[in-house]
Amino acid sequence: MFAHIFVNRLKCLLRDRETIFWTMMFPLLLAVFFNLALSNLNNGEIFKAIDIAVVDDNNYQYDQYFKVALDEASKGDDRLFNLTVTSKDNAEKLLNENKIAGYIVVEEPIKLVVNKSGMNQAIIKSFIDNYMQTVSSINSILLKNPAAQQELISSLSERQQYVKEVSGTNAEPNNILNYFYSLIAMACIYGCFFGMREVTDIQADISPLAARVNISPVHKLKAFIYSICASLVIHLFEIFILLMFLRFVLYVDFGPKTGYVLLTAFLGSVMGISFGAFVSAIVKKSENIKIAVLIGVSMTGSFLAGMMYQNMKYTIAQNAPVLSYLNPVNLLTDAFYSLYYYDTFSRYALNMGFLCIFIVIFSLGTYLIIRRRKYASL
Amino acid sequence: MIIKVKNLVKRYGDLIALDHLSLSVNEGEVFGLLGPNGSGKTTAINCILSLLSYDKGEIEIFGQPMTPDAYNIKRDIGIVMQNVAVYNELTVYENIDYFCGLYVQDKKLRKKLVDEAIDFVGLGDFIKFYPKKLSGGLLRRLNIACGIAHKPKLIILDEPTVAVDPQSRNKILEGILELNRQGATVIYTSHYMEEIEQICSRIMIIDKGKAIATGTKDELKAMISMGEKITVETYSLSEEQLSRLRKLPNIASAVYKNQTLEIKSNKGQNNLETILDFIKREGIQFGKIYSEMPTLNDVFLEITGKELRD
Repeated sequence: MFAHIFVNRLKCLLRDRETIFWTMMFPLLLAVFFNLALSNLNNGEIFKAIDIAVVDDNNYQYDQYFKVALDEASKGDDRLFNLTVTSKDNAEKLLNENKIAGYIVVEEPIKLVVNKSGMNQAIIKSFIDNYMQTVSSINSILLKNPAAQQELISSLSERQQYVKEVSGTNAEPNNILNYFYSLIAMACIYGCFFGMREVTDIQADISPLAARVNISPVHKLKAFIYSICASLVIHLFEIFILLMFLRFVLYVDFGPKTGYVLLTAFLGSVMGISFGAFVSAIVKKSENIKIAVLIGVSMTGSFLAGMMYQNMKYTIAQNAPVLSYLNPVNLLTDAFYSLYYYDTFSRYALNMGFLCIFIVIFSLGTYLIIRRRKYASL
Repeated sequence: MIIKVKNLVKRYGDLIALDHLSLSVNEGEVFGLLGPNGSGKTTAINCILSLLSYDKGEIEIFGQPMTPDAYNIKRDIGIVMQNVAVYNELTVYENIDYFCGLYVQDKKLRKKLVDEAIDFVGLGDFIKFYPKKLSGGLLRRLNIACGIAHKPKLIILDEPTVAVDPQSRNKILEGILELNRQGATVIYTSHYMEEIEQICSRIMIIDKGKAIATGTKDELKAMISMGEKITVETYSLSEEQLSRLRKLPNIASAVYKNQTLEIKSNKGQNNLETILDFIKREGIQFGKIYSEMPTLNDVFLEITGKELRD
């Protein structure tokens, strides 16, 4: 009987184009859209050498210390500046054409010419200030204690760090991952459409089709479980396709814990289906009302989990932390992020624990409602 | 006895949907439940099938109490619901196979039964069609095939011809009689008295959840005083003539409306002859004249005081 119901249920669900679109195609399309819209978001995190010029005059040529400092800062792969040594007129021209962030005129004090303020200009200014402060310190020490010259020279390039930075992760910070993780969470929650349909097709007080199944010599709950297995298989397959698409087509990084990522997707899918079943069982209204409730809850959850605006997740976590634990989409999003970002499992386990509580509540609630085999009205 | 229902009571709040309804269905008969919309026919069927809870009463099918987990009883029941209940994503063949498979696990036997059901309802040319591509009549036939493919001993059809074209209706009614000839006991509910008269061997008329009469169609017609209904098309009839007509022996009522004189006579002999004599004597010009035996609607009208289709 399991095979008969399961196979036919697979056929029914796979041919239901509307549900397949919303549960599989829609998240895939959103993923492509996210990729197009958000791919530049991480560029702000990557430092690019700043284009600057220095006026090539006698002062510059005579100030060997500054010249060496500037040359050092303009060498190597992780250089600070792309330096152009040129005439003042040409430097002015390059600045006006926005080809450089600013140009330096070596005089007393060293002058920085810019035509706007910004991050790059602040960095150049900071470099010059740092240089001038160092020169000033050296001059001051030498004036007071000329004997310290040798020691000073040997320690000149040393910078002692008194605070040690310990990273909790080996993962690179990534601004766009949360969008994709919340998208996967949303796709998991969209399993609710399968759950809703399963309850509709087994509750005789909701559909005539269910009444026909209830009259047959098959235990109602067994028929329901066999059918929901088919829903789960299809939805898991859809989530798996989404994960593969994100990983191998859009190159979204999930970190090294692939097994846990799949476990999270599995629990997310179970959560989505059980949520839909629960809503369908408890809301005694038309199918359209139920769909509206499911879409409303899943979209609100996705919004609060940062799918449309990443900082929303942190705003909720800071101002209403309880809400972030009551939002299954956020729990899933955070679980994926924890797997990617943290080396420990404590935060992941907390998220999964709450998710399991939701699954138990939704499943138990659905069971208590649909276990009835006689109805007060049809 | 196939079904025995005793003192069944079903309430929806203050509304009594079934009021101490008792009925029995014998093996091999086509039992009709006739009543207007909202009379409690479907509620009675749903209670019998243990889909609906009820407040009081006893229900036995095949001599055993009917409960939701009486699978041995359910195995021998086929149900054709009022609303079409098929999967839109499965083809005609797949739908029949699916529902048959809930009763019959043997694949070979199931294939044979499904093929027979398809032949029976005449859907052989449509087996690969999806339900949405079928006309209303064909869809109803599919609905029937899904209910009877497993060859049940008891078939319950709840208004299976609602919104069906006359051709499909006749096909469905013929099919039901054929199923009965093949040995199935049938319960047929409808508010169409002509259908009930056409196929049912025994009829129960229900109204407001109460059984108001049970018997064969002849027994039911014998319960009322009306003998026959005589209709005369005439262009002129005075009030005096109508009054004299009403005083004739055995005349129960006479109404003249829209140039049609409708006379209902009590049981008795030569009623038509008496009226023809009266028309000749009074010199009344007439077009057509015809006589009808009482219908189940007349039975319903006489017992409840209202038309069956009210």
